Amino acid sequence: MAEMENDVSPIETEQREYVEDGKNKLVVQCKFCGSKILDKKSSNYIAQEKDLPLMQQASNNDREVQNETIKEFYHVENMYTFENIGFTHTVDNHKYLSCADCDAGPVGYHDTNTRHSYVAISRIVHSK
Amino acid sequence: MAKKTYDLLFKLLLIGDSGVGKTCILFRFSDNHFTTTFISTIGIDFKIKTVELRGKKIKLQIWDTAGQERFHTITTSYYRGAMGIMLVYDITNEKTFDDIVKWLRNIDEHANEDVEKMILGNKCDMEEKRVVSKERGEAIAREHGIRFMETSAKANINIDRAFSELAEAILDKTAGREADADHSRIAVERRPSRAPPSRACCT
Ligand SMILES: Nc1nc2c(ncn2[C@@H]2O[C@H](COP(=O)(O)OP(=O)(O)OP(=O)(O)O)[C@@H](O)[C@H]2O)c(=O)[nH]1
Ligand SMILES: [Mg+2]
Ligand SMILES: [Zn+2]
Repeated sequence: MAEMENDVSPIETEQREYVEDGKNKLVVQCKFCGSKILDKKSSNYIAQEKDLPLMQQASNNDREVQNETIKEFYHVENMYTFENIGFTHTVDNHKYLSCADCDAGPVGYHDTNTRHSYVAISRIVHSK
Repeated sequence: MAKKTYDLLFKLLLIGDSGVGKTCILFRFSDNHFTTTFISTIGIDFKIKTVELRGKKIKLQIWDTAGQERFHTITTSYYRGAMGIMLVYDITNEKTFDDIVKWLRNIDEHANEDVEKMILGNKCDMEEKRVVSKERGEAIAREHGIRFMETSAKANINIDRAFSELAEAILDKTAGREADADHSRIAVERRPSRAPPSRACCT
């Protein structure tokens, strides 16, 4: 079984130094305060495109939310897998994820239909 | 699904009058180096935090309650699944302290009867505006046999402690109910039901 699944994962995945067997090889932490978000090997690497609001919105911009396209995520099926995380109120079937200790975010999003969560890899840091 | 990576899950609720600081307790005053306007505009619904108590890995799911809730509008469905309740008042506002009794009555009526409660006297950084003495907070907690602590969301005083103490109290109960619990060990480690005074910021 396990061997067959390896065929499915794109070769590209294996080239990421932080991915091992399709999972996060390292601990996932907040960029700003180091709060532990995910334990190692607790989530699955997934390449998908998704727009997320910028962590720092330009202050001279009144209403418009500025987005950025994120291409790599860690997929978390069960929210209780998280070590420390905040969930915002729901906006259009989404909750945004934020650091539980310093409230920086969005560091990812949660789909309220599937109840799955996705952590934006470019918005976290890895550690041993 | 992958194997469970924790031992216990406790759902906790923040309750109290409007303006006492429930949202600030959950959502840290981000006057750190980094203010994230986007997140604070939408607001935090709940947080998941992991604590380790007596060798057990415990997940706390902490819920804020909506701003305009009053005790007469909060009923059973609101409390469903809650194992712990943080009952918050504002030490600079007499009314919020008086309402603690009403909140306690509401909890008795609507929440699970063995829900673990803790009273928090928040905003203890504002000593010059204090109108509720710490002794009165301690007295009401003692009267109802529940824990008490003064906190400041602003100065980040006792917030994490309060949550671990509440979690510990729930753990005591949970452990007591487990058939295979090691009763002697629990009895030895059980803490007094009230937090010792004067560790708080505001004495
Ligand atoms: N000085 C001080 N001010 C605080 C503290 N906690 C909250 N505040 C202030 O009190 C006000 C109300 O805080 P909130 O957290 O919004 O109160 P709340 O309990 O969530 O109120 P509702 O959502 O209306 O139920 C805000 O202006 C906060 O800045 C504290 O520990 N110290
Ligand atoms: Mg609030
Ligand atoms: Zn952080």
